[in-house]
Amino acid sequence: MGEKLTRRDFVKLSSVAGVALGAGATSAQAIQNPPGWRGSERVERIATNCEMCFWRCGAVAEVSDGKLVRVAGNPDHPLTKGRLCARGNAGPELLYDPDRLKYPQVRIGQRGEGKFQRVSWDQALDLFAQRLKDIKQKYGPESVGFFPHGVASGFFSTLMKAYGTPNSAEPAFAQCRGPREVGYALTFGQGLNSPEPVDLEEAKLIILIGSHIGENVFTSQVTAFAEGLSRGAKLIVVDPRFSTAAAKADYWLPIRPGTDTALLLAWINVLISECIYDREYIEKYAHGFTDLAAHVREFTPEWAEPITEISAQVIRQTAQAMGDAKPAVALHPGRHVTWYGNDTQRARAMAILTALTGSWGRKGGIFLPTPIKTGKFALPPFPKSSRKRVDGAGTRYPLASEEQGLTNGLIDATLSGKPYPIKAWVVYGQNVLQSIPQREKTLKAIEQLEFLAVVDIMPMNQVNYADLVLPEATYLERYDMPAVVASAKQPFIAIRQPAVEPMYESKPGWWIAKQMAKRLGLEAYFPWDTPEQHLATLIKPLGIDAATLRVQGAIAFPGRPYIEDRLPEDGPLFPTESGKIELYSPTLKELGFDPMPRFTPVAEVPDGYFRLIYGRSPVHSFARTQNNARLYSLMSENEVWLNTDAARGFGLREAQRVVLENSDGVKSLPVLIRLTEGIRPDCAFMVHGFGHESPKLRRAYHRGASDTELMTQVQVDPIMGGTGMRVNFVRVLKEGA
Amino acid sequence: MARYAMVIDLDKCVGCQACSVACSEEWEVPIGQARTHIRSTGIVGKFPKLVSTFHVGQCNHCDHPPCVMPCPTGATYQAENGIVKVDQSLCIGCGYCMEACPYDARYINARTNKVDKCDFCSARLERGEQPACVNTCTAHAKYFGSLEDPQSFVFSAVYEKHARRLENSNAAVGPNVYYLGKPGHLDLVSATFGPRAPRLLRPAEVWRRMLKPLVLAAVGVTFLGQAVAFFYQLRTGEKDFEE
Repeated sequence: MGEKLTRRDFVKLSSVAGVALGAGATSAQAIQNPPGWRGSERVERIATNCEMCFWRCGAVAEVSDGKLVRVAGNPDHPLTKGRLCARGNAGPELLYDPDRLKYPQVRIGQRGEGKFQRVSWDQALDLFAQRLKDIKQKYGPESVGFFPHGVASGFFSTLMKAYGTPNSAEPAFAQCRGPREVGYALTFGQGLNSPEPVDLEEAKLIILIGSHIGENVFTSQVTAFAEGLSRGAKLIVVDPRFSTAAAKADYWLPIRPGTDTALLLAWINVLISECIYDREYIEKYAHGFTDLAAHVREFTPEWAEPITEISAQVIRQTAQAMGDAKPAVALHPGRHVTWYGNDTQRARAMAILTALTGSWGRKGGIFLPTPIKTGKFALPPFPKSSRKRVDGAGTRYPLASEEQGLTNGLIDATLSGKPYPIKAWVVYGQNVLQSIPQREKTLKAIEQLEFLAVVDIMPMNQVNYADLVLPEATYLERYDMPAVVASAKQPFIAIRQPAVEPMYESKPGWWIAKQMAKRLGLEAYFPWDTPEQHLATLIKPLGIDAATLRVQGAIAFPGRPYIEDRLPEDGPLFPTESGKIELYSPTLKELGFDPMPRFTPVAEVPDGYFRLIYGRSPVHSFARTQNNARLYSLMSENEVWLNTDAARGFGLREAQRVVLENSDGVKSLPVLIRLTEGIRPDCAFMVHGFGHESPKLRRAYHRGASDTELMTQVQVDPIMGGTGMRVNFVRVLKEGA
Repeated sequence: MARYAMVIDLDKCVGCQACSVACSEEWEVPIGQARTHIRSTGIVGKFPKLVSTFHVGQCNHCDHPPCVMPCPTGATYQAENGIVKVDQSLCIGCGYCMEACPYDARYINARTNKVDKCDFCSARLERGEQPACVNTCTAHAKYFGSLEDPQSFVFSAVYEKHARRLENSNAAVGPNVYYLGKPGHLDLVSATFGPRAPRLLRPAEVWRRMLKPLVLAAVGVTFLGQAVAFFYQLRTGEKDFEE
């Protein structure tokens, strides 16, 4: 213990003073090899937020002589407490990736050809501003579509709002968490946000439905998951694939894909019919229990067995485990949950199950966020547009998030020109070709654009289609909006600050946004000169000191995670219309949807085909990190998992290179197959994010295959407007076929 | 004096590679090489009755390290605290120790051409820090401490929870990396990644590995010299020679 404290103090001391040791030196050994040094090198430690993914883990960048030597975990960070995953540790290889975008460029070749001319920042920004002004004049500001992603995009969002377009959309909603946010908000009055507040470490029972924690690595979530298991939590994993988590499970339920709602309804049926739900909690907090009980009466485990291919006996046993563990049941709501187009209803079923085990707001279940109030800027009001958003969020899909929008809706509108034309796109850090299905549509939409500007760090394929390319600095070279995280047991504010100067001619997002604001006459929306001033305004009401924040990287506040901790100022416990948990949803009823979830069958796998399912690897983030030298060395390409017997039936061999062809005849790049017992015979699994099409990613180019490319079919969720993507089928062609 | 050991709880480990990358970054291990390896046992059994787990492999800092004796220069040695180290200034990269290591925990660093391996992050220990892998482990599955410290987790894991060493009839040399986990998983790890018998290089091996490349290099250089001379003559012409 003593040793640990000393070490933390050392980190602080050395980073505060920039001078080696104060009174902290304890032993002769420590003086020989003191903290703040690596061998004979003096290192400075800068606390910051990692951005190898978006979880916002705490990192410490070690810098020697202006060069980044190492990125490690930040022990002072309340979320991750010094831990960092493989990708976080590989930060230096992003910073020093020679393939990075190095200077502003203007396209001179055909779209997609990748021919560019280098220009100065002044030229680039002038051009950017001129094109935006022209388009505003000709078609109105709404005809610019904005595709943001990442923390830094906050500055750009302000810019685009001030410019006057409501048309902003990111895949985080329509291709990822949307159904879950909407489904839980319909039930509990609020969504889950990110990081999702699942109390894994206190749980007595953890349930994962499709979530593959361990392969899907968010540092603090893995920590909590492993801690929960080591304290004796039981684990139920529902997954057609024998995932890392499944290998740790007490119950692995290799469900028939697309039938999760049937399983959930059967669980609800058993909890109610056996009277093992949390009666007191439901009586006190829930609305519509009688309706629910009547609704699920027919959905017995015996009904679910032939649908899900999970035996009724196992369904009963697992339901009993929930009854035994309640309320400490951590049913993980999932993250990427746009699967079959009926996803909001599945999320509703999960939310209802969470309510029945009395787990919302309870220890070991789903804990509650504790908001922290940051300072606001006195900005002029954003221009109000008379024209509504084109993507249908808030109109055709009244429950879709207008904050995050529908990427697919925005692309469709660009193609059709309805309800009004979209003539330009500004893409900020979002990979529109690798994260949104139906790539052909996206490419066609791009062809129709008068102007496409891309701000990115790496030469992703979309960059090759851009008219203007702006190179952004990495997270290790820039300030960003601080992370203000309410959905942690201790809410916190954490900053991102530069560890080294931006390389080449790359610039931070905030700088680009401010420069553009200047050129567009929107400076009033950026009433600060430096990021330090920006930060000072933000933290003013928190009563904290900017210097401490910059040294520690993060400051935490007391949290009120459980129902019994709540204060009146936290507002109503269940901010629904009824003020209660809505097992029966009047909102859905009003909108013409099932007020309680119902199982709707999904399309069957055609003969000779597999259902394409996809997921994550612990060493890569989406399609962002495949070119990172260290991570590439650990996983340079993805493989297609096929069930041994099923694959042999097609005459396939282990480690054979094949081509996947989907039911629309779209073929993948050549990819290795892995024959395994660990997957159902009707599925083919691959890790998402590979098969890069940009030759400028010299390592990642054409390594592995892209799952996104094979997603020519989508099933749009009628409630939230997102794209169900597990509705594509592939067959395996031996290479060359 | 401490007697260092590491314990890896396979019930917690998710095989995320954080430890391996942290180690590589800490020690500037060339891309594509590693001091710490995380390997899956693969999925064993018949659907749906399956087993799978991970193995985290690195230098075991054995009680009786078979790598020390074959080292011709004395570069590999065992420190008082049990840590087996390679003195880089003495190592000639002959690889005898690599053959002797039953865990294949050593490699020749592509940049230095010398043998490298885990040293339990000795430099970090001197600073009062934990090894980089332990420090970053997302699952808190790696523990480090002294077996002479009854307060330490490794002490209780080894002496009370009976954490297992990876030993078999090939090699039982007292490895100091221990594993906790379900017996079935530990058996699987042991069967898949258990030690091989240490190999001592015979003179023939010495020839193949050291002398032969030298001779080949010498022959190559001679050949190259000849070629250069030949082309030089071709360029300058034979006139001079005739005259």
